[in-house]
Amino acid sequence: MLAVTDLVTSYGKIEALKGVSLEVAEGSITCLLGPNGAGKTTLMMSIAGVLRPKRGSIRFGGEEIAGLKPDRIVSRGLALVPENRLVFPSMTVLDNLRAGAYQRKDDFAADVERMFVRFPRLKERAEQNAGTLSGGEQQMLAVARALMSRPKLLLMDEPSLGLAPLVVEEIFDIIGQLHRDGTTIFLVEQNAHMALKVAQHFFLMEQGKVTFSGDPGSLAEDEVIRRAYLGSKA
Amino acid sequence: MIDFLQSTLDGLTLGSTYALLGIGFTLIFGVLRKANLSYGPAIMVGCYGAAWVSMRFGAGLLVLFACVVAIAVVASVYVERLSFAPHRKGSAVAAMVASFALWMQLEEIASLAMPQHIYAFPPLLGAAPLAVGPLTIRVESLVMIAVAVAVCLGLRWLLYRTRFGIAVRAIVDHDTAAELAGIDVGRTFLLVFALAAAIGGIAGFLIVSTQEQVTPMLGMWSTLKGMLAMMLGGLGSLPGAVIGGLALGLIEAHSQWYFGPQVRDFLAYLLLFVLLALRPPWMTTRSAS
Amino acid sequence: MDDYAIGVLTNIGLFSFVALSAYLLLVAGELSFGQQAFFGVGAYAAGIGTAMLGWPLPLAALAAMGAGALAALLVALPTLRLRGLYFAMATLAAAEMFRILFEMFRWQREVDGEPVGPDGAQGFRGIRWVFEAGVEPIGFLALVWLLLAVVLAAFLLVERSRLGAALRATGEDPQLAGTLGLDVVRLKLGVAAAAGALAALGGALFAHHNTYIEPRNFDIMLGVHSLAYALIGGLGTALGPLLGVALDLGVLEASRVFQGYRMIVFGGLVALLLVFRPRGILDERLVHRITRSR
Repeated sequence: MLAVTDLVTSYGKIEALKGVSLEVAEGSITCLLGPNGAGKTTLMMSIAGVLRPKRGSIRFGGEEIAGLKPDRIVSRGLALVPENRLVFPSMTVLDNLRAGAYQRKDDFAADVERMFVRFPRLKERAEQNAGTLSGGEQQMLAVARALMSRPKLLLMDEPSLGLAPLVVEEIFDIIGQLHRDGTTIFLVEQNAHMALKVAQHFFLMEQGKVTFSGDPGSLAEDEVIRRAYLGSKA
Repeated sequence: MIDFLQSTLDGLTLGSTYALLGIGFTLIFGVLRKANLSYGPAIMVGCYGAAWVSMRFGAGLLVLFACVVAIAVVASVYVERLSFAPHRKGSAVAAMVASFALWMQLEEIASLAMPQHIYAFPPLLGAAPLAVGPLTIRVESLVMIAVAVAVCLGLRWLLYRTRFGIAVRAIVDHDTAAELAGIDVGRTFLLVFALAAAIGGIAGFLIVSTQEQVTPMLGMWSTLKGMLAMMLGGLGSLPGAVIGGLALGLIEAHSQWYFGPQVRDFLAYLLLFVLLALRPPWMTTRSAS
Repeated sequence: MDDYAIGVLTNIGLFSFVALSAYLLLVAGELSFGQQAFFGVGAYAAGIGTAMLGWPLPLAALAAMGAGALAALLVALPTLRLRGLYFAMATLAAAEMFRILFEMFRWQREVDGEPVGPDGAQGFRGIRWVFEAGVEPIGFLALVWLLLAVVLAAFLLVERSRLGAALRATGEDPQLAGTLGLDVVRLKLGVAAAAGALAALGGALFAHHNTYIEPRNFDIMLGVHSLAYALIGGLGTALGPLLGVALDLGVLEASRVFQGYRMIVFGGLVALLLVFRPRGILDERLVHRITRSR
């Protein structure tokens, strides 16, 4: 569904992505692991259109999307739940969801209801400002917001960041649910342990390149986890 | 006591215009995080354009109002495309200096097209001032205050009950997240600019039709008043701009009465300087760097 | 060289002082709309010195620089904690206050039987020291550019020194600069005073070139122009502001082709230029490349 080929993205003179290639199969949960600074968020931002790659290709559903603006990419069916949630703090939960539905031309009230069924805590707080929500609730809001655009592929950047273990379990439960309901998920995670429990396939990224690709059985789990946290020199 | 009340009334009238100018300026500053130095000049060009239409065709007030707003919007869109859109992800200083360059351009265009500099403008109302007890209330004052209130309500509706409003508020909260939600930030900026120009145009129309003339000073004056209103009320907040505008009007009216025009301006600037130096919490709503 | 050319070149020199003043602050990370106030303080101070107190120009100019530095510190001290547009607005407010003070300032003295001195909004006439000392226009031009050359040399020396690096570092990231051990407060105050003195020197010369000054000379237009000159010419070197002034006053003024359309052309060109070069013509990258290839 998503094919990234030799992607290069730089910040000024520094190349954060040095030629990244990977694929996300339709209907799967694919996970991207790697130590801090490997370039995972840069990759997500490049796919989502916030960063403009210097070279390389990103094909989604057979069409080239590299270099497109973020709103064009959302309209193609790709949505990113960004690192650190980035909810709109001064807007209500409901307005956050409306923002996620910005591109929708149809009546999305039914989808809002569906979000409230899936995330009951959001329904309780529907008229509250998103800034007053707890970390876990904000994460759910960020996911719900992204889902409002009915993406075919959901990108998630570190959904477990800064959340308590119980909340992390909830989040991964939801990821599992979404997958069962038919959404393809491409997930960046520091928490390799949880990620490997749900993923069908994973990539390891180090220093701007993909260094390993496989499924959860293929490499010894502790080897993967070590490299994900510490890099291959460890 | 009567004088105080009269000055207060005059202050509110003046203040309601400043509030409108402040709202327009704040829309651009609050959303784009950049200061538009061509804000006033675009309004001025609109007013000169309407004055020309009035001279040439003797058109009615409604037509002239439409002219002021339409021309101000067109001029502002020009400014946005040339000085703000290219610097969207870049330097605020470059955008500001570019807007200054276009300010110079707009001023010269106006003075070439209308070489007389000062032109008459038809009055808003021919009505005589009302006497309410010992106070004199100009009917125009009531109109200006009413229009300001209407604009504020309309803006509130726009921001909280429309899709456009969602886009604007999302961008103000976090522009990257807004992009990721599928909002076209560039287009929203353009619309915000046009909206700010329209509101500025309304203010401009009220000013020139109550003063019954258009002068070249209108350009810089409007930008300054808009900026002052914004800063007095707390940078980047719309309710703040309204409060700032009203406060500015009141301060000017009262100090003009007691001290004359020079001290009036001096006090307004002094207040702003002192407020900035002291930086009370309400002034730091958003980062201005 | 004909009188017109001398006049244009002198003006370029004079306004370069205030453009450099704005540039200095920009490099140190502060946006100022108010350097014209110190240009004015210098003009009035020097005028009072020569026309009313009978001082020779060098002494009056020095006094003007002192007055400019002092005025600048008066503005800088309360605004130390401000950044970005907050600071810019504070400088604008302060500059306008100075201008209104100039409008209210009246002080007359009898010199050779005639009253001389600042007369509020009417301005300050009779600053004729240069003429009475028999200095020719071309001599004055040489004086202005000599002083400017000294200033530029000082700038170029500071650029290459640790102080210059410290200033640019403070400009880019004052918090980081602070953690690196730079005394950001002293740097800012130093820069403010130097910029004020610099603008004041320009003002002192300006007053004596024109022989007549009025508060309107020192309004916001001058301030925003100075900032624009600094940005357009380029923030990579002190020659940048000079380039900016020269482009506006020199090329466009001198080419009478644009008579009457000068600002339309200039304004449009500036906006276009900034699209492609947001830090000016002689920006840091270009200057870096030029100085490296030597």
